[in-house]
Amino acid sequence: MGGKVSCTLGEVKNRADLIVYWGGNPAECHPRHFTRYTLTQKGKFTPNGRKDRTMILVDIRETPSVKAADIFLQVKPTKDFEVITLLRAIIKGQSVDQAQVAETGLTLEQLQDFADRLKKARFGVFFFGMGLSMTRGKYMNSAALLTLAAELNAFTKFVAMPMRGHGNVTGGDVIMRYTTGYPFGVSLTRGYPRFNPGEFSTIDLLIRGDCDAALILGADPAATMPQPAIDHLASIPTIVLDPKVTHTSKIARVHFTTAATGISAPGTAYRMDEIPLPLKPILNSPYPTDEEVLKRIYRAVSKKPPLMPPVKINSPDKLTKSGQKAG
Amino acid sequence: MAGNSKLRITGARVYDPANGINGEIKDICICDGKIVADIEGGRTINATGMVVFPGGVDVHTHVAGAALNFARGMLPEDHRQNDPFVRTRNLRCGISGATPTSFVTGYLYAGLGYTTVNEAAVPILTARHTHEELRDTPIVDKSTCVLMANNEILMELLEAGEYERGRDVVAWNIWAAKAYGVKAVNPGGVAGWKWGKDCKGLNEIVPGFNKITPRQIIAGLANIVDDLGLPHPVHLHCNNLGAPGNVSTTLEIMKILENNRAHLAHLQYHAYGGDDWFNMCSASAKIAEEFNKRKNLTTDAGAVLFGNTVTITADGPWQHLLYKLTGKKWGNIDVENETGCGVVPYVYKEKNIVNAVQWAVGLELLLLIDDPWRVFLTTDHPNGAAFWRYPEIIHLLMNADFRREQIAKLAPEAIGRILLPELNREYTLFEIAIITSAGPARSLGLPHKGNLGVGSDGDVTVFSHTDDVAKMFAYPRYVIKGGEIIIEEGEMRNTVEGKGILSKPFYDPKVEDFLRPQFQQFYTVSFDNYPVEIERIEHPDIRPCKGVQS
Repeated sequence: MGGKVSCTLGEVKNRADLIVYWGGNPAECHPRHFTRYTLTQKGKFTPNGRKDRTMILVDIRETPSVKAADIFLQVKPTKDFEVITLLRAIIKGQSVDQAQVAETGLTLEQLQDFADRLKKARFGVFFFGMGLSMTRGKYMNSAALLTLAAELNAFTKFVAMPMRGHGNVTGGDVIMRYTTGYPFGVSLTRGYPRFNPGEFSTIDLLIRGDCDAALILGADPAATMPQPAIDHLASIPTIVLDPKVTHTSKIARVHFTTAATGISAPGTAYRMDEIPLPLKPILNSPYPTDEEVLKRIYRAVSKKPPLMPPVKINSPDKLTKSGQKAG
Repeated sequence: MAGNSKLRITGARVYDPANGINGEIKDICICDGKIVADIEGGRTINATGMVVFPGGVDVHTHVAGAALNFARGMLPEDHRQNDPFVRTRNLRCGISGATPTSFVTGYLYAGLGYTTVNEAAVPILTARHTHEELRDTPIVDKSTCVLMANNEILMELLEAGEYERGRDVVAWNIWAAKAYGVKAVNPGGVAGWKWGKDCKGLNEIVPGFNKITPRQIIAGLANIVDDLGLPHPVHLHCNNLGAPGNVSTTLEIMKILENNRAHLAHLQYHAYGGDDWFNMCSASAKIAEEFNKRKNLTTDAGAVLFGNTVTITADGPWQHLLYKLTGKKWGNIDVENETGCGVVPYVYKEKNIVNAVQWAVGLELLLLIDDPWRVFLTTDHPNGAAFWRYPEIIHLLMNADFRREQIAKLAPEAIGRILLPELNREYTLFEIAIITSAGPARSLGLPHKGNLGVGSDGDVTVFSHTDDVAKMFAYPRYVIKGGEIIIEEGEMRNTVEGKGILSKPFYDPKVEDFLRPQFQQFYTVSFDNYPVEIERIEHPDIRPCKGVQS
């Protein structure tokens, strides 16, 4: 159980005949998703574009995305996990309890039809948004949907992909993984990476008041985080790098205005399917890039005496021993 | 980066198989990062009683890229089991285990005395990311092989008989990915997986295509690579990996490749007899007999060691099967028009008959293939075991008694299915130097690697000579990379940046006129953003190709 069965967006464009958006509102949040990748594009095996595809939207309320959908399934709030679990049972031919079905806000016929469509698809895809991953159940909901996608591969080709957003969040995730082994929620305070979401993730650190300084890059936490986290950010030396004034820059001790990446600074951004795209600047900026500012801060910090005398731990003897234990 | 200091290593027994030097005591001199005949002055390392090898070369490993990074994210529990790498003044922090982080990968390879690695599977679409990771993999020089055998544009050209344009497309893609060689993974099978299918028979039509078969893809790619004169032959992961009875497929593929150069990757996974999981057995004797006759081929072992690891391969259908067999986590990424990839954590157990057979087959192939210049030490890292466990395999190869002790621990039912108990061959230090360095360097077409001749790169490893072979190879006393001392008295005191090894085969620039509209239609990345910029490669070293020039 677990894992992630996914693909790049071009696979969806070329092959997908069943597209399910779950807990998201792409029409407003990812407005180019339909036209660039999922619905209207004519792909190699979907030569008629929209006509070759069925779109199902699962959400707790009607959003502008409903207009784009062939089928809209309105589930009761916080019942996504139950719907997914029922689908997993129906797909395997197990009987389901009427009372449990009634709880979800959908009828058994709707669920049965949904399950049939999932199984009969030639190439199906789930795109899931924060309506699934950030509501009650959180990662359990995502895990259930990812498992459903994996299990559907016993019948047909099926994949799942989270609808990542907020700029280059995927890029941050990718680079954290290859430098520390973990995607987020990493603490380096002991000199090596430790991972514990809930303990080392940003909101938790801030609310507990564990950090006494903050460097914010490419994000505006004061716009989205809970108030106690914002209050702590405002009470400590917070440094923000951002091309524009943001909620966070307003409460920060220092705001570096930087060149906007992709407009006046080069760089790389990762798409939600983890494809790196080069960003080519079209304008000049009087401001330094994020990279220049960080390098200058780093150089200045390096000149300071170390907090603790360097500890000699890393003899190669230790290096290989560490590995052998794992075997 | 080349060290401008002079260095002499004196008093050691030197094993330099490419130059026929077998344990002679002689001085090795390095100046400006290269091996020279003699130097005046400079630093001298007294290595009396020690053993000198050329720096190790890994012909097939997975150390960077989207698939490996996907696996890292999937395995936090594995990371926790490993001792961490703590940051020091010279070294970055990270974690070891089955999927070491990028910096740690460089430290671990150098810590084994390896100075060159070949990342064996790069999709062009994510090559930019692979190079980002390789840039953060210090010390070792890095080459990459680009995945072509399920590239739909190429398959359509081969299907239509447009061989020359296909050749241009391959050459263009190698340069676009800033790669070095061509990798073929389960030709046709991964393309079939895009519809949830496989392509098991070499003469089956690939699902979604009209007439092309795996046989035609293999033959076509091998010819293209030879015509382009790439330094490394086509790097082939055969069809039917891991399946009982796949020996017949592997033998058939050897026949297809009769008139080409080729490197068969991780041969262990392709040398099974029997017809299902219940009667699976070793077929290494058949494979080795045929392989010994075919001098056009090289291979690497893809050996398995017992313990925890994670399997990562472009072979998507196989990974789906493994997920169903194990019930463990399953990761899959299909890459549009090019390839796929699957990730499944795995534990090889001594008491599991299938695993015991796999363990034996890897060693059997290394012992039965008589020419060490054609079979190399790998574990298909991390699939068979992590690369930092190579010294354990060297120990098994050099000591038949130790091997028998290990065989005694296997599931008893496995003994009748393997040949290993009957094999008495023991590797010599000279042969170990071939399978870990000189041989892979020759197969990769890197004349300046894997040997200590004048003019070669100053990549040298000095081992203490002890009877404890596993310890000797796990803890080199000195490792020198490009003339810089990295490990001194067993301690990593310095790091350097590695080079990116590339090749630029010739192609007709008009091929872009053909590719551009294909891109607009089938890809989701614009054509101009697809090729990796040369500026992203750290210290590029572009190797010459001997093939078509116009």
